Amino acid sequence: MKQRACKPPALARAAAPTPPAVQQDLPFVEQAPAVEAKRPVLHPQVADRLWFCVWLPQLPLEANRSSEAATAIVEEQHGIHRILLADAEASAAGVMPGQAANAALALLPTLQLEERSLLKEQQALEGLASWLERFSSFVSIADHDVLVLEIAGSVRLFGGLQELRQRMSKGLRELGLTAALAIAPTPLAATWMARAGRRACIRDDANLATALRKLPLSCMDWPAGLCEALTGMGVITTGDCLRLPREGFTRRFGAEYLLQLDRALGHLPDPRNSWRAPERFCVDYEMTEEQTDRELLLNICRELLLSHEQFLLARQLGTQRMCFSFFHLKGAATELRLGCARAERSAERWFELLGIRFEQLVLPGPVIAVRLRSGMAQPLQAESGALSFHGKPGVTARRFSITQLAERLIARIGDQSVQAASMVAEHRPDYAWRSQSLLADWSGTTLDTPEQSVQRPLWMLPEPALLPADSGYPVHQGCRLRLIDGPERLETGWWDEDGISRDYYTAAGTDGRRLWVFRNRNRTSSWYLHGYFG
Amino acid sequence: MSSSLDKILANPRVWRGRDQAGRRAGLASGYPELDRHLPGGGWPRESLTEVLTEHYGIGELRLLMPALARLSTETSTQDFTEPGWIAWVAPPFQPYPPALQQCGIDLSRMLIVRPRDDSEILWSAEQALSSGTCAAVLLWPSMLDDQASRRLQLAAEKGRSWAIAFRPLAARRQPSAAALRLELHPDGQATRVHILKSRGGRPAVITQLL
Repeated sequence: MKQRACKPPALARAAAPTPPAVQQDLPFVEQAPAVEAKRPVLHPQVADRLWFCVWLPQLPLEANRSSEAATAIVEEQHGIHRILLADAEASAAGVMPGQAANAALALLPTLQLEERSLLKEQQALEGLASWLERFSSFVSIADHDVLVLEIAGSVRLFGGLQELRQRMSKGLRELGLTAALAIAPTPLAATWMARAGRRACIRDDANLATALRKLPLSCMDWPAGLCEALTGMGVITTGDCLRLPREGFTRRFGAEYLLQLDRALGHLPDPRNSWRAPERFCVDYEMTEEQTDRELLLNICRELLLSHEQFLLARQLGTQRMCFSFFHLKGAATELRLGCARAERSAERWFELLGIRFEQLVLPGPVIAVRLRSGMAQPLQAESGALSFHGKPGVTARRFSITQLAERLIARIGDQSVQAASMVAEHRPDYAWRSQSLLADWSGTTLDTPEQSVQRPLWMLPEPALLPADSGYPVHQGCRLRLIDGPERLETGWWDEDGISRDYYTAAGTDGRRLWVFRNRNRTSSWYLHGYFG
Repeated sequence: MSSSLDKILANPRVWRGRDQAGRRAGLASGYPELDRHLPGGGWPRESLTEVLTEHYGIGELRLLMPALARLSTETSTQDFTEPGWIAWVAPPFQPYPPALQQCGIDLSRMLIVRPRDDSEILWSAEQALSSGTCAAVLLWPSMLDDQASRRLQLAAEKGRSWAIAFRPLAARRQPSAAALRLELHPDGQATRVHILKSRGGRPAVITQLL
């Protein structure tokens, strides 16, 4: 393509004289080249789509730089390292793109040279794409340094285009990225505007063609040979391109570029792939050297949690589980698992739980990297607040929910140690209740059980304890017990092979305690202690 | 002038001696004989109460049950929120749900915590007290020094919760920041209650209570 494009400028000028002024308005519609068949008159969906383009001209520099010092990014071209991009400080010293690395070092000996890493750029771009998902459900990576997002649906939510744009540029500044932004009804037009450095905001397609006409050729990212050929023909703007006869343009330069122009104008549909981030969050933080400072590690975890929050925020999801891995140069990684009673995404909440567990964490050695892997993302459950009658929302806001308390307790002393209890409709004392974990769904599990007429003891032993007997009476701690109430006969349980046949009594000891004892109605008829009337 | 003075006096931290402290309504214990001896006519809410006993099983829980039952079922009159929770921290045995239900406790608002050691008992109790979700926190620490009792007292004030610590009789000689300290002795079929310390009240002995 390039070779072909280089040759024919003179021919082109002869074959395609500048069209007369009357033709200027509709040059593309009136002429009928080979590609005509594909082109509808005007694509109707253009009007209700609005594309926002984020172009990152400094991405190689911003993604690859590792220090604050003057930096230039180098790329190997034909065996020579050449400067690809230099930061402001280096440019001021005379370092320019295209220079050999040695020449640049001669100009500025302190210059930091970084090899370009396409992987890092891709990661930075994907990171930005997931960040941009908060503004639109449709984000697409258009090029190695261009992202486009469809924002027609988000404009109202964010309070207008102006507000949206401000938020976005503020966020991009905070992320440390230099970006050019443009808005247009087609993704390609938005991209070209951004590349041309126009802070354009075109809302309807009536203005689109006019705005596109003024753009220089360079913004279209066409091959250098093609641009050279066009410039040689006196074609220096997009408008000039549009004025050329379609047939001749296709023959000389190929149909591809003509189609691009049609897509930019909205004459042809321009479908894009929506970018989807992985559904599970797994991010590593690698350090340049091993660290033992726990404060520092905690800060790294916090940073990871914040990006985790953003990840979930973009999806309107939360998660119940996550796992931190602390990697050591020698030996296996130390893992720290956290759990929550309900799906949660707030970095603050997770950090609070982490803080409790991290105190007790024993790290066998210095840490070189930290990884945060989150569990399955789940929809968030909204919490309903209480209606305040006194106009004092502060009172309820200050209370934190029982789940939060349970999570804190579980984080420190373990899942099995924090429990709720409920009743079971059963006559056997051991089966008349059950305890359950607080992390389970425990709402509405209390059963209506028949009112019992006989008083039950408030304290229950985990297992009945065998009591010695003295002439038929039970003995507890050396004293013969006095039976003051009973017997209450409880028996059978044939359905689960744990049948009982017991006579329960309330007994009083000489030390003033009241005990719940029973006698087994079998041959041994031994006495057992089962509880205390606390 | 007088209104600002009232405001200061309404602060629970201002102790004005026994006649005035009674203004702060207590939580009715369900035992009129006991209420008569307690300042405010009941258990001191939002503070630490200590119950000293030789053994478990002499009515130490029955003494609290009427008040706990009310706490677990009644909605708060201050902000109309749902009733608070009752947390049991390190109970010596299993609190038996059927018996608790007989006493009128709402089991769905009960939390049983079994920490592994003493520092975790105090930590859990402090968390539960200051969270603001627990109406009452019962704890069985193996030891409780002056400083720890002060921390519990402050946590109870912060979370507007009632802390009840169960301790052995030997602890009576130790200083404590508790607002109320009771000693329980078996007395024939019933129980005798000694009020050792009562902020705003005076020591007393109540025989044949339970």
